[in-house]
Amino acid sequence: MSLLIDPNLLLFILSSFLAVIAAVMVVWHRSIVYSAFFLSILGIANAILFAILGFPIISLFHLAVYVGAAVTFILFSLVMMREAPSVEPETKITAVISVIMLIILFSELFIGARGETSFYLNYRDLTSILLKRYWFSLLVAALALVTTLIEAITLARREV
Amino acid sequence: MEIFWYLILSAILLSIGIYGLLTKRNIIRMLLSAEVIFNAALLSFLALSSIDAGYGPVGGALTLLAISLSAAEVGVIVSIAIMMFRMIGTLDTYELKKFKG
Repeated sequence: MSLLIDPNLLLFILSSFLAVIAAVMVVWHRSIVYSAFFLSILGIANAILFAILGFPIISLFHLAVYVGAAVTFILFSLVMMREAPSVEPETKITAVISVIMLIILFSELFIGARGETSFYLNYRDLTSILLKRYWFSLLVAALALVTTLIEAITLARREV
Repeated sequence: MEIFWYLILSAILLSIGIYGLLTKRNIIRMLLSAEVIFNAALLSFLALSSIDAGYGPVGGALTLLAISLSAAEVGVIVSIAIMMFRMIGTLDTYELKKFKG
């Protein structure tokens, strides 16, 4: 028996709604702690979309590194900080106009984008490309992460 | 599924992120909005690289690197915010003028 609706399509619709609502809440929620929490929801929705696109390993990496480490780091750092005031109303009007112009620009750009997403990431190809073609970038990324770790430890131990 | 819908979704996320980046003065809120933009960029990048099987692994490799660098970037900006809060007691970016040497 064939399904009435494609499960991937259903998952795409659900996660894209979740992503848009979470992004709106990140920007508009009054409490900054809840904003960071909604960023993690956005990360999870994005990870589901990556998996639908055929990149399950990237999806897991996004969940582990981005949602698990980066967003949690922001969330825990917020405990010691206070809220700053918002910008002037004129700046808000300019921001709304720029966003509307941006949406029009992207609609024009993407209107011709056609193509089916039928791809599944081969792990062997991925590791081969990372280790052969992008080995230097991998090294730089690892060094950047180590530097951040050292910086975080130094800041945590510093007395001001 | 059509690539068009993924690109439209990423454009919506990008617009929301840019609105947040332009209208907030709190450095952490600006970082959160920049992270929304980052998520939009990743989504469009992977969607475009999934069209052609030849570009898929390259897109995957570059996305892995981008996610790692984003984690490093979050660490750096949150550390700057913590230092800023300790030194001037606020996260208002308008107060950053006082950091001039």
